[in-house]
Amino acid sequence: MKMNLKFICNKNLVVTEVQPGKSLLDFIRKDLRLTGSKEGCREGDCGACTVLIGELENDRMIYKTVNSCIMPVGDINGKHLVTIEGLSDGKLNQIQNDFVEQGASQCGFCTPGFIVSLCGYFLSNEKPILKDAIDSLDGNVCRCTGYESIRNAINNSIVFLESNEGDSKRHIEKLVSSNFIPEYFLEIPQRLNNLSIDIQKDSVNGDAKQIIGGGTDLLVQRWEEIENADVNLIFNLHQNEKITVEDNICKIKATTTVSEFWESEIIKKYLPEITESLYLFGSLPIRNRATLGGNIINASPIADMTSILLALDAKLIIEGNSRKQIKLNEFYTGYKTMKLEPGEILDDIHIELPDEGARFNFEKISRRTYLDIASVNSSIYLVIDKDVISEVHLSAGGVAPIPLYLFETVNYLKGKEIAFETIKSAAEITLKEIKPISDARGSSAYKSLMLRNLLFAHFAKLFPNIIVVEELI
Amino acid sequence: MSRKIIKSKYDLYEEKIETIAEVPSEKEKPLAPNSKLKYVGKDVNRYDGYDKVSGSAIYTIDKVLPNMVFARVMVSPHPHAKIKSIDVSKALKLKGVLHIITNENTSEIPWYYNTSKLFDKHLRYQGDEVACVAAETEKIAEEALSLIKVEYEIMPHVVTAESAMKENAPKIHNNGNFGRPSEYTRGNFDEGIKQADVTIEDTFTTQVEVHNPTEVHCSVVNWDGGKLTVWDSTQSIFSVRDNVAQSLGLNASDVRVVKKYMGGGFGSKLEAGKYTVMAALLAKKIGRPVKAAMNRREMNLSVGNRPDSNQTITIGTKKDGTFTAMSHIAYGVMGAYPSGSSSYWPLRSIYKCPNIKIDNKSIYINAGRARPFRAPGHVQGTFALESIIDDLALKLGMDPIELRLKNYTEVDQDGDVPYTSKLLKEAYEKGAEEIGWKNRNKIPGSQTGEIKTGIGMASQIWWGGGAPPSYATLKLNSDGSAKIFSGTQDIGTGTYTFMQQIAADVLEIPIDKVNVDLGDTGTMPYSGGSGGSMTAPSVSPAVYDAAIQMKQKLISNAAAILEVDESNLIYSSGNISSKNDSSKSIEIKDVVGKIHERVLVTTGARNENPNGYAINSFGAQFAKVEVDTMTGIVRVKKIVAAHDIGRVLNRKTLENQFYGGVIMGLGYALMENRVIDDYTGKVLTTNLHDYKMPTMQDMPDIKVIIVSEEDNLISPTGVKGIGEPAMIPTPGAIANAVFNAIGVRIKSLPITPDKILEALNSKS
Repeated sequence: MKMNLKFICNKNLVVTEVQPGKSLLDFIRKDLRLTGSKEGCREGDCGACTVLIGELENDRMIYKTVNSCIMPVGDINGKHLVTIEGLSDGKLNQIQNDFVEQGASQCGFCTPGFIVSLCGYFLSNEKPILKDAIDSLDGNVCRCTGYESIRNAINNSIVFLESNEGDSKRHIEKLVSSNFIPEYFLEIPQRLNNLSIDIQKDSVNGDAKQIIGGGTDLLVQRWEEIENADVNLIFNLHQNEKITVEDNICKIKATTTVSEFWESEIIKKYLPEITESLYLFGSLPIRNRATLGGNIINASPIADMTSILLALDAKLIIEGNSRKQIKLNEFYTGYKTMKLEPGEILDDIHIELPDEGARFNFEKISRRTYLDIASVNSSIYLVIDKDVISEVHLSAGGVAPIPLYLFETVNYLKGKEIAFETIKSAAEITLKEIKPISDARGSSAYKSLMLRNLLFAHFAKLFPNIIVVEELI
Repeated sequence: MSRKIIKSKYDLYEEKIETIAEVPSEKEKPLAPNSKLKYVGKDVNRYDGYDKVSGSAIYTIDKVLPNMVFARVMVSPHPHAKIKSIDVSKALKLKGVLHIITNENTSEIPWYYNTSKLFDKHLRYQGDEVACVAAETEKIAEEALSLIKVEYEIMPHVVTAESAMKENAPKIHNNGNFGRPSEYTRGNFDEGIKQADVTIEDTFTTQVEVHNPTEVHCSVVNWDGGKLTVWDSTQSIFSVRDNVAQSLGLNASDVRVVKKYMGGGFGSKLEAGKYTVMAALLAKKIGRPVKAAMNRREMNLSVGNRPDSNQTITIGTKKDGTFTAMSHIAYGVMGAYPSGSSSYWPLRSIYKCPNIKIDNKSIYINAGRARPFRAPGHVQGTFALESIIDDLALKLGMDPIELRLKNYTEVDQDGDVPYTSKLLKEAYEKGAEEIGWKNRNKIPGSQTGEIKTGIGMASQIWWGGGAPPSYATLKLNSDGSAKIFSGTQDIGTGTYTFMQQIAADVLEIPIDKVNVDLGDTGTMPYSGGSGGSMTAPSVSPAVYDAAIQMKQKLISNAAAILEVDESNLIYSSGNISSKNDSSKSIEIKDVVGKIHERVLVTTGARNENPNGYAINSFGAQFAKVEVDTMTGIVRVKKIVAAHDIGRVLNRKTLENQFYGGVIMGLGYALMENRVIDDYTGKVLTTNLHDYKMPTMQDMPDIKVIIVSEEDNLISPTGVKGIGEPAMIPTPGAIANAVFNAIGVRIKSLPITPDKILEALNSKS
């Protein structure tokens, strides 16, 4: 079933009818005929198709970078879509000028994606710094240029913006006056308001069987099928109320994205150590779309977010004929199988707010820094009472058909004192309760060795005064 | 200026090329040194910068023609099979399907040097072509593929060199699994070993690397009567023209190949793909333009890769480090069809050694065919050679650079002729200083602590001197603007820009008056493929020659207009004036305006290479790494690339090529790896998720040092190519730095965390 779509693309209003599950990139390249956004991999792994999606939040525009190849077009209803063509209006913008000046493109195929990502960074950061700007390019792959000149170009843009301080205008006005974005951006809030679209309601199609959250896995695995399917787009539901606290329970909507989880004031307050780990999750455009619910239901044995939630002893609230609750560490029954009946959907994820003095750590091994699937990961949650472990949860990914909660190791650790021998014995128990296989991400022996080292790393990082890594290895 | 015709001979990727070329008959006065020029050697911005940053650059994949339809290729799901039958009837009934070609309705078109056909019933790898569908949309074409019924006879497969070399291995071709061997001897290896005081031998292995340019391989084709136009994402328009014409039985002049922008080429885009010919066949039948594009999965299966290698190197030396004998016994997989996998060349050429023995075998397996990949053979060969030389230095108690200098040669070891220039010593010196060579661990692995740092280096040799034929046409208009046409192509390396710089400097006109059009076999004079680091050294002298001729032509015309003898005219800043009479002066645009045609045209040619010299580029790279001994993760902190590459044409595009080469070398050293499952024979790394390439955060600091000025023995522009030299020594330098950090040698690429941990475990 087609849906009516009304949105602003760059500076033009677009009113059309589309199959809502169609890839946004196909829509941009084939229907809108804007070919500056490139298709490099069609899986969210190269960033050549990066675009910005702008939404009005409290009269202010919030822009996020996404991989348009794996986003359903229906999700741009009522929003502002910005492609590379919309970033310069007659003349190049400052970021583009700096790319030219530094020779920061060679074949140029990846260049639009880099520039769009950078514009997204400058739009959402009032105090840009080089390291963070580079981090915001974690989803962009370049095969020719070698990144160094791109880094130099970013540095120039930052210096230029700083030197253009001027009077205390709003950030977006400053970006316009510094020629980082064209002037038409200033009119977008008013124009979006005039569309009178309720983005929470207008894309939901309750009759459709195929539910799509962020789509970052579904549009990779089954895009041909989804393009013509009746789909229920739930990504926009529960705006502004995705993470709440009630009676010491933190309730997280399954549609919460990794970025929203990361930026949540509640999570920052109660679980600050978790937010430090999240930059290792996928890439920024993936985090902007990937939902916690999707990460759990996709059931990858190596899912980063699931590893973290296992260590937080999360409980899942499942909606179906009735509303039921199940612990995440009892949810999976085998490789990609779980206690979820047809017609049931994951609605909420509940975690108990941590006790005073609780500690958390996440570790991951992968070949490259960004945009990588771990070969092995592990999370730990610990409460210590006078050097004795009063509560502990420990998970391991990539070492079994399911994301693993290490029940036996947890049982052993409870009530023990943090000491050198305790950790060594715990590692031995862990190695007995995992079943890693050899695959493209590493051999079985390597994964066992890695997990042992990750366990050591947890304790070395959390208790540097007691545990010294060199002695453990 | 007078011309002559010669037989031009040069080496390109192990092939001895011989071709007829027109060249200037006299040696031309060289281009002035960079210090005296306004544009050449300076930080001039890219000619194509605007198009690329604004998103307005149109690549082949973006090209749309009126009434265009789409082709998709069906490929074998099996690593080794025979087609028993194909039934396309159901697919043809799908609405929007226009035509399907298979072996049953296509004439036999030979492919892969006659070892196969465009559609072969014998499928030798997962990815071998079975059928090609044309349909109104890509999606319909894709759907049609799933409706084609193919009955396969599945045959036993073999996907590693070791199994393919066994006597009872499944045979991929009738005459077995061995390709053409590369053998070579110099002196007497056995005698040389007898003279040695110390001998070292070790075996090194490298993985298969996939090109994965960001733009997939693709073509758009259109017939106009009997003439065919092909827009192609290619590194070599003339090769594509010749391949397509031959396959279709056309005259080369009836095929026009056009390429303006293309998304990356590292060797896999040097020839026509089957998809191009299939698209042309379908377009002919349907009477509409056809676009054929691969997807990322096919890119990882079919279009090429760097072959793997297993290299056993033996070196005999005197106590003082003088090499007495070297041997390189190796094998590697070239995939299912003829290609090459040898890796001996660095060992054969870079050091002085009288006794050499080489035996390299190329093995067929059931996998995608190897293609040239940014310095074929040299990257893997340099990794192995430079690793064992460091081990030897340790054994002899010598500094690794001292050992290399001990065996330094000023003459080419093959032809016993001098190099036109060789500044490798200078590269060692400057690179060592920049990296802080003296601070490396004198005893490898001796640092304590979880994170260990190390410093290592590796040397580089490559050809890249360029050769004729290569031509460029220059047109001067009556508004004073100039335009260059040449049948080369800019694959992102900066060809447009340096051509503009050279013409502007010779004609002494503002650079924005010079335009450049490249990449069209139908309208432009011939130039070779953009491979082998051949482009700049081949085409820059042609542009120079065209501009010099233009200057002379302008002076001759001005002499007639002003009625002044040529010898009394001075050319300066786009003005021609009389030495004696200042009132007699004319701007060059007015010269053109006054002549009948209102345009002046010259065509320049690349000069003949000098006799009695070897032309090579040299360099050394230095790496500083950090190894986390708990996780096994290697982080490259800094790379210093010190190279002898002749004249710098453009500092920005030069540095960019080095950055790109170094990062590609880093990816090869640490992460990139095509994995095939032995049991099913299928490739496990078919997307960019599983086939990892470096991202921004993996980038080290990179410092580029150029030790050369210009090499006027080669050509009047004095340029050597840099595309390949930039990558050759990077993996070797990183491997040596890792050894310096942890004290254990990793003998196989990529150096992944598991190998580091295993090595550290076995050490303790």
